[in-house]
Amino acid sequence: MPPDAYRESHVKKVERTGYLLLAPAALVMSALVLYPIVFTFVYSLQDYRLIYPDKRAFVGLENYARVLADPMFWNAFANTLLVTVIVLLLGLTSSLVVASILSVPTRFNGLLTAVAIIPWALPPVVNGLLWKFVFYPGYGLLNKLLIGAGVVEGPIQWFGGRLGTLLVIALVVAWRLAPFGAIVLLASMQSIPRDVYEAATTDGASRLQAFWDITRPLLAPSIAVVASYLVVNSLFTFDEVIALVGNRALTSTLALYNYNQAFTFLNLGTGGATAYLVMLGTGIAGFAYVRSMVGKAG
Amino acid sequence: MKNTMWRTGLVVALVSLLAFAVVGCSTSAEEPAQTESQEITVMLPEWGVPTDAMLQEFQDESGVKANVEVVAWDDIRNKISVAAAGGQAAADVVEVDWSWVGEFNNADWLEPLTVTSEDTADIPSISSFTVDGKVLGIPYANDFRVGYYNTDIYGKAGLTEPITFAEAKDQSAAIKQKGLLQYPSTMPLTAGEGTTTGLLWLTFLRDGKVFNDDNTLSKDNVLTSLRYMDSLVKDGLINPANITQKDIDTYRQLSSGEAAFMVGPTYFVGLVENPDESKVVGQIKTIVPPGGDSKAKQTMSLTEGVGILKASENKEAAQKFVDWYTSAATQKQLYTDVDILPTRTSVLTELVNSGQIKNADALIETAKLIKSPFPNGVPAYYSEMSPAIYNAINQMASGSLTPEQAFDEMNAKVTELAKSASQ
Repeated sequence: MPPDAYRESHVKKVERTGYLLLAPAALVMSALVLYPIVFTFVYSLQDYRLIYPDKRAFVGLENYARVLADPMFWNAFANTLLVTVIVLLLGLTSSLVVASILSVPTRFNGLLTAVAIIPWALPPVVNGLLWKFVFYPGYGLLNKLLIGAGVVEGPIQWFGGRLGTLLVIALVVAWRLAPFGAIVLLASMQSIPRDVYEAATTDGASRLQAFWDITRPLLAPSIAVVASYLVVNSLFTFDEVIALVGNRALTSTLALYNYNQAFTFLNLGTGGATAYLVMLGTGIAGFAYVRSMVGKAG
Repeated sequence: MKNTMWRTGLVVALVSLLAFAVVGCSTSAEEPAQTESQEITVMLPEWGVPTDAMLQEFQDESGVKANVEVVAWDDIRNKISVAAAGGQAAADVVEVDWSWVGEFNNADWLEPLTVTSEDTADIPSISSFTVDGKVLGIPYANDFRVGYYNTDIYGKAGLTEPITFAEAKDQSAAIKQKGLLQYPSTMPLTAGEGTTTGLLWLTFLRDGKVFNDDNTLSKDNVLTSLRYMDSLVKDGLINPANITQKDIDTYRQLSSGEAAFMVGPTYFVGLVENPDESKVVGQIKTIVPPGGDSKAKQTMSLTEGVGILKASENKEAAQKFVDWYTSAATQKQLYTDVDILPTRTSVLTELVNSGQIKNADALIETAKLIKSPFPNGVPAYYSEMSPAIYNAINQMASGSLTPEQAFDEMNAKVTELAKSASQ
C-alpha cells in the first residue's frame, strides 16, 4: 500500500474509533440533554396543564406572553439580578482575598487550602440549612451571639424584609461559590514567575503596586472565568432560597419561579416558556461576555 | 498455554450461561405470580409508615409484600405528577392529601376505590376524598382544627376558656400586658401551605363561609380574618418569627410554653402530653375552637388518605393494602405504635373511652363539627390558588401589604382561577 493511501486509511480508522468512542457519551447527552431541550420547547408552545389534560392544545407564543406579563416573573427577575450582582461582588472579592492569603507560603498552606474548599464541597441545600441555623428567626446562632454580646436587646428578624432576605441569600450563595474562585485564582497566582515580582521590587514597587500592576492584569483571564462561574451559578439560585425561607414569592428567584410553574402549578406550558426565556437571557448575556473577552484577547 | 486459556474461557462462558439460564428459569417458571403481582410499592410520608412487624403481619395475612418508600410529604405530589406525565405510576399505593383530590381527579390519576357503606359511615372525612360518587382515597390520618389553651397561664391571668376569636385576642393582650408571655398567640404566617389553611380555618370557624358559590372568595369574611391576623402581628401578640418559621414550628410554641393559645392540628392533643416533646405537660386543655359570636359551629378537616394510582399494574394487591391499612384493627395499632390519630369514629371513640387518647375532652365533640369549606369540593386549581393566598398573607405580615391590599392580591388570582376553570 502506498504511504499516502496507508496514511489516509489510518486516519479514517482513527476517526472511526474516535466516533465510536464518542457514541456512548453522545447517546447519553442526546437522551438527557437534547431530548428535554427539544420537548421543553414543544411544551412551551402548548396549553399543557397536567390537571387539565383535555385542554392540551397548540397556543403558539401565548405562554411566553403570559409569563412576560406576570409581575411575579419580573419580581423573580429583579431578585435574581440583585442576588447575582451581590454574589459577583462578594464572591470575587473574597476569592481574591482568600487566594492572596493562601499564596503566601507557610507550613499550614495545605491545611488552609483544604479548609477553604469545604464550603464548595457542600451540596447547596445543605449549605442553606446550615446557614438557616445561623440566621434562624428568633434565637438562631447569630441572634444568640448578638444578644449575648449585648449588641441588641431582642432577636433580629433577618428574613423579615425583602432586601435583608436577599442579602442573606446572596451571602450564603457567595460563601459556597467563593472557594472555587479562590482555588482558580490561587493556581493562577502561583503560575506567575517570582522573578517578575523580584524585578518590580528592585525597581522600587510597593506590594500594592506589584499586585495592581502585575498580579491583577495577569489574573484577568482567571478572574473572568471565576466571574462567569459566579454569575451562572447565582442565576440558578434555588436550593438555598428554599432551605432558608421556603417558597416565598417576595424573595423568589427565576429558578424558583420556573419550578413553581412546572411542578407546583403543574403547568408544563408556562414552565417550558419560563425555562426558554431564562435560557435565552443567559445565552445572550453569555454570548456578549464571550464576544467581549474574544475582543479583548484580539 | 494458549490452548489451556481458551479452554478455561470456554468453561467460564458455559458456566455463566448455565447460571443465567438457571436464574432465568427460577424466576419465570417457579414464582412469576408471587414476584410480579404480589409485591407492591407504597409511597408514604415519614409519619405514615407502619412498623416492620405490622408490614410483615400484612404480608403473612395477604401474601402481598408492601415495599414502603418514605418520601417527604412535599415531594410526593411532585413524584406522582412527574411519573404520571410519562404514563407511569410513582408507586402502586400513594399518599393522597385532601388538597390534592381536586387536581388528581381532574388529571385522572387515581383509581376509584371499593368502599363499603359501613366504612363510609365510620370515616366521615371520606367525603373530602369523594368526587362525583367516586372514592379516590381513604383517609388514614385524622387531622382537624381544635382549640388549645394553657390553663396555667390563663389561671395566672385570671382568664377562662375563650369562646370567640375576639375574646381570644383580648385574652392574649391581657397575658402580654401582665408580662406572663411575650407572644401569647400563635398561628402560621410563613409562605407555606399552613398559612393558607390558617386563613381558611380562621374564616370558616368564625363565619362558616370562606368561598362563594362560584368559588370566589367571600370578601367580608376573608377580609375580617386578614385584619384579625394583621392586628395580632401589629399588637405584638404573635411572634414575628412566624413569618419565616415552618408552620409546625409555630404550633410548637404552645408545647414549648412560649404561647398560651392556638387553634391547631389534632396531632398536638397527644404531643402536649409527651414529656419528650412538651414542656407544658398537664397544662394544656383541648377545647372546641372559638367562633364568631359563640363557639365554632363547624371545623375544617385536613385529613390525609391513601389511594391507588391508575397507572399501577398491581391494583388488586394495592386494594388489599388500602383495605388493611385503613381497617379498624390497623388504625388502632397505628395509633399505639406510630401515633397516627384514627379517622374511624369507632376507633377514635374506643381509644378515648379506654383512656389511650388523653387530653381529649373536646376531640369527639369537635370531630362532629367537621365540614368542608369548599362549596363545590376542593378545586382542581388548589395548588395554584394556595401560593397566591399564603404569599399575600406573608407579605401582609411582613408589613409590605395592608389587609385590603392582601385581599385584593389573593382575590384577583382566586377569581381568575375560578373563572378559568369554569370555562
